[in-house]
Amino acid sequence: MFWQQLFNGLTTGSVYALIALGYTMIYGILGLINFAQGEIYMFGAFVAVLLLATGQVNFFLAFALGMAAAAALGVVLERVAFRPLRGSHPLVPLISAIGASIFLQSLGLLLFGPEDRPFPVQFTFSTVTVAGVPISTLQMSILAAALGLAGLLVVFVRYTTYGKAIVACALDRDTARLMGINVDRMVALTFLIGSALSGAAGIMMAIYYNGTYPRMGLLPGLKAFSAAILGGVGNIPGAILGGLLLGVAESLGAAYLSSGYKDGIAFAILILVLLVRPQGLLKGRGD
Amino acid sequence: MAAYLLHLAILAGIYIILTVSLNLIIGYAGQVSLGHAAFYGIGAYASALSALNLHFPFPAAAVSGMLVAGGCGLALGLPTLRLKEDYLAVVTLGFGVILGLVFLNLEITGGPDGLAGIPSPNFFGLSFRPASRYLIIVAVAVAFVLLLTYRLVDSYHGRALKAIRDHEITAQVMGINTPGYKILIFTLAAALAGLAGSLYAHYITFINPETFGLHTSILILAMVVLGGMGSLAGSVAGAVILTALPELLRQAHGYQDLVYGALLVGLLIWRPQGLLGRGKLSLKFLQREG
Repeated sequence: MFWQQLFNGLTTGSVYALIALGYTMIYGILGLINFAQGEIYMFGAFVAVLLLATGQVNFFLAFALGMAAAAALGVVLERVAFRPLRGSHPLVPLISAIGASIFLQSLGLLLFGPEDRPFPVQFTFSTVTVAGVPISTLQMSILAAALGLAGLLVVFVRYTTYGKAIVACALDRDTARLMGINVDRMVALTFLIGSALSGAAGIMMAIYYNGTYPRMGLLPGLKAFSAAILGGVGNIPGAILGGLLLGVAESLGAAYLSSGYKDGIAFAILILVLLVRPQGLLKGRGD
Repeated sequence: MAAYLLHLAILAGIYIILTVSLNLIIGYAGQVSLGHAAFYGIGAYASALSALNLHFPFPAAAVSGMLVAGGCGLALGLPTLRLKEDYLAVVTLGFGVILGLVFLNLEITGGPDGLAGIPSPNFFGLSFRPASRYLIIVAVAVAFVLLLTYRLVDSYHGRALKAIRDHEITAQVMGINTPGYKILIFTLAAALAGLAGSLYAHYITFINPETFGLHTSILILAMVVLGGMGSLAGSVAGAVILTALPELLRQAHGYQDLVYGALLVGLLIWRPQGLLGRGKLSLKFLQREG
C-alpha cells in the first residue's frame, strides 16, 4: 500500500515537475508567473487527443504535434499578452497572465465543449512486480518519459549555446544584451520550451487519467507552481525535485490523511514553504 | 422588470463593496489577491451560521462575518505579505481553493448543499425581506464603505500606502512600517469583503460553495482593472458595468469569461489606467523604476 501510493505520487509528481520547469524558466528570465501555463497544458492534450481521434495519425506523431501546438501557443501568448507590458510594474503582467488564462480556458470550453473526452487510443499495460510492489508499466513509462524530457532540458541549458544564452538573460538581461544576445529571441525560446514541456505533461495526464476537459489545466498548473516555489523558483533541478516531492506528498496525504482535501495539500505545503524557507529547498532566484 | 432592476441594484451594491476593498489591496498596497471571493465566502458563512445557530440579529451577524473574514485575512497576510508581490497572488489563489474544499467537506457548512433558510434582517418587527427595503441596507453599507475608504485614502495612512505602492524602499527609508501597512490594509479589505458576504447571504437566504469560487475572484479583479487600479470612483463604475453587462448580453451566455479575460489583457495593453484612473498619476505608478 505505502509503496504503491509512493509510486502513484512519483508518477503524478513527474508530470508536475514538467509543468514546473516551464514556470521556473519563465520566472527566471522575466520574473513573471505565467498563470496560463495550465491552459497550455490543456491545449497540448486536446490537440493530441483530437488528432488521434481522427484515426489517421500515429501516436508518436500526435504526441509531437501536441507539443508543437502547445509551444506555438506559448510563443503567441508571450508576443500578445506579455511583451507589450514588459518594463511595467510587476503587477501588470501578472494580471495580464490571469486574463490570458481565463480567456484560453473559456476558449477551450467553446472550441472543445464541456464534456470529458476519453483518450482515443487504448493501451494494454501489464503490471510488473518489483520487490513485492505491483507497478503498472503505464506509470513506469510516464515516469521515464517525464524524467527523460526533464533531463534533456537540463542538458540543453547546461551544455548548448542557446541554453547558456537563456541563463545569461535570466542572470542579467541588460548585460546579456550588451554581449550580443538577442534577449527577445531568448524569451520567446524560453516560452517555446516551457510550453512544449507543459504540452507533453498534458498529453501524459490525459493518458494517465483517461480524460481531457477544458478546465483540466487549472489545478495541475497551480500545483506545479507550488512545486516550483518548493524547489526554489528559477532553479531547474529544484523544479524537478519540487514536483516529485509534491506529487508524493499529495498521494500519501490523500491515502493517509483525508482524500477530500487532496487538492489542498499542495497549497498547504506552499504556504508552509513561504513561511519557513521562502527561497525554496534548493536556493532559487526568487527572494 | 422593476423587481429585476432592484435585484441588480442590490447585487451591484454588493459588488461595489467587493471591488472597492480589492482595489485597496491592488491600487493602494500594490499587491494582487486572487482569493477575494474566499473572504466574501467566509463572511457569508460566518454571518449565516451565527444567525442560524446562535440566533444573532442581522447587525451582529454582519459584524461577526467581518471579524471572522478580517481575522482570516490577518492570518493569511502575516506570513505572506513580507514576501514579493507575486507570491501573494498564488497564495491567495491556493487559499481560495483550500477554502472551497473546506466549505465542501465540513458538516457545519452543509457541504455541497450549502446553507438554506438564512433569516432576513428584521428591525423592531419591520422585515427587510422585500428587495425595496433590503436595498436601503445595502445602500447604507455601500455609503459606509465608500466614506471609510475615501477618508482612509486621503489620510496620513493613505499617503503612506501610496508611498509604499510607488516605491517601497524609499517609503521604508522615510520610516514607514511597510509590512505593517500592507497587513493592515489586507485585513481591512478582507473584513469589508466579509461584510459583502454577509449582505449577500441575508439577501439570497441561501448560500453554497459555488458562489465563492475562483470565477468570482476573477470577476472582482476584472471590475477593479476596468474601473482603474487606485481609483475609488472607477471601482464603483467597474462594479456597476460588469454587473449590468452580462444581463445585457444574455444571448452571449458562455462567452462571459472569454470577454473578461480579453478585457483584462486588452485594457492593460491599451488603457492600463482603466476607465476612470487618473491618467498621468496611474501611469506613473505602472512604470517600473530603473
